[in-house]
Amino acid sequence: MRRTIPVLIVSGIGFLLLASYFFNFAIGPTDLDGISSLITNWGVIVAAFAVGLASVNLIRIHSAKVSRRRADWIHSLALLLTMAVFIIVGVYSKHNPDSAGAKALFQNLFDYSYSPFGSAMFAILAFYVASASYRAFRARSFEASLLLVAAVLVMLGNAPIGALIWNKFPVIGNWLLTVINMTGQRGITIGVAIGGFATSMRVLLGFDRGHLGIGD
Amino acid sequence: MLERLQNVDRRIIYVLLFIVCFIPMANPIGIPLEVNETTQMVYDIVEGLNPSSDKVLFVMDYSVGGSADVHPQAVAVAKHLAKRGIPTVMVAFVNDGTMFAEQIITSLGDQVVYGTDVINLGYMAGMETAVKAFVEAPKTAFNVDFRGNSVASQPIMANVSSIRDFSFIIDFQTGQPGYQDFLRQLPPGMSYAAGIVTVSVPNVMPYLNSGQLSGLLQGLRGAAEYEVLLREPGEGSARMDAQSMAHVVIIAFILIGNAAYFLSRNKAGGPKA
Repeated sequence: MRRTIPVLIVSGIGFLLLASYFFNFAIGPTDLDGISSLITNWGVIVAAFAVGLASVNLIRIHSAKVSRRRADWIHSLALLLTMAVFIIVGVYSKHNPDSAGAKALFQNLFDYSYSPFGSAMFAILAFYVASASYRAFRARSFEASLLLVAAVLVMLGNAPIGALIWNKFPVIGNWLLTVINMTGQRGITIGVAIGGFATSMRVLLGFDRGHLGIGD
Repeated sequence: MLERLQNVDRRIIYVLLFIVCFIPMANPIGIPLEVNETTQMVYDIVEGLNPSSDKVLFVMDYSVGGSADVHPQAVAVAKHLAKRGIPTVMVAFVNDGTMFAEQIITSLGDQVVYGTDVINLGYMAGMETAVKAFVEAPKTAFNVDFRGNSVASQPIMANVSSIRDFSFIIDFQTGQPGYQDFLRQLPPGMSYAAGIVTVSVPNVMPYLNSGQLSGLLQGLRGAAEYEVLLREPGEGSARMDAQSMAHVVIIAFILIGNAAYFLSRNKAGGPKA
């Protein structure tokens, strides 16, 4: 029962939504399209609750870390304090839309702290990529040489300075991207779509139950 | 010496990269930029829109991590739409997107009247499920917008009864939900373009070639190209010089490493078995 009911729910809802793409017929006071829209809206509500659940879980884990003074507990405390500030300011500004100060504070917190910190985290990757490229792009074999030459040509084709050095770099880079790369990507995309279809059918037919946490 | 050139301390690379990025940001060089065909396609679509009958759906699906690449694109296109007086409905399926939408609306100032020329519907959780829900019923998907106003009472939403009432959809994204989610959920024949991070450009090419995408803004370069077309230099143009110089440094180190590798190999008496 514990395994059967979740599988039946997944299969039933899944096939219903799948059928709504191909058919439409009346079911009681509504039709298949109407039921599909209703289920989709339930999905949005569940997703919203999942976001809330994730926040609660985060608070639970990091509160435990702080209270037990585990390694790096000070970072958990910083996270909890930051979360509290954003939640308090955000909820207040949402429920008091006429409060220009609260709205401005929330926007400023996003614009001048959250956004720059988030961007900086990913900007650091640029340095790692530079160092990794220098070490990885060595022409040790024919394939490695091909990769190296293609990477350099695409980089020079994309950067405006490439066109200044030689006006054919953008042409070559664009050809690599729109001909060589595209054919490979097309094959990958089709393969992924077929694999995704096969996996979806396994889930809908109940053969794959990993998403339910009860294994195959 | 050759061994050292093959194993340059990464801190030297980091410092050099920082210097070549910082100097052009502080003192722009102004390297000329040629506009890509895919950027021109987006520009031409916006230029061809009719302010009295067309509406644009402006999807803000990027997070702070990719905002350095994508936000300048969104700013440039929003400026263009505001300049032409095209009503723009902003929506987000990534939680950061709605805050960037507010940032853009604030930056447009008096060029737009909120509720008539532009609206920020807010964020809807659920990834592709949310996209599906919105596409099926764009007018009723949100009861209130991000600012707490009733969506049904906003003049901009008056003639929106289905997704087909949007003449053009432009989606700025850094990951999920992305162009694939939209292309699966949108009805066929809709004009849909995307603004993406540079690393995603190779993946998008098949969709552009097949015509499923009407245009594409390719990372920071796409933003800079759009600013060139608008004749209004902004963040994109300012950062392209830094990106160019960073590319040069990376390529230079790759060439130095390979030159040292080949020279040391020849010195050692040819390739090792």
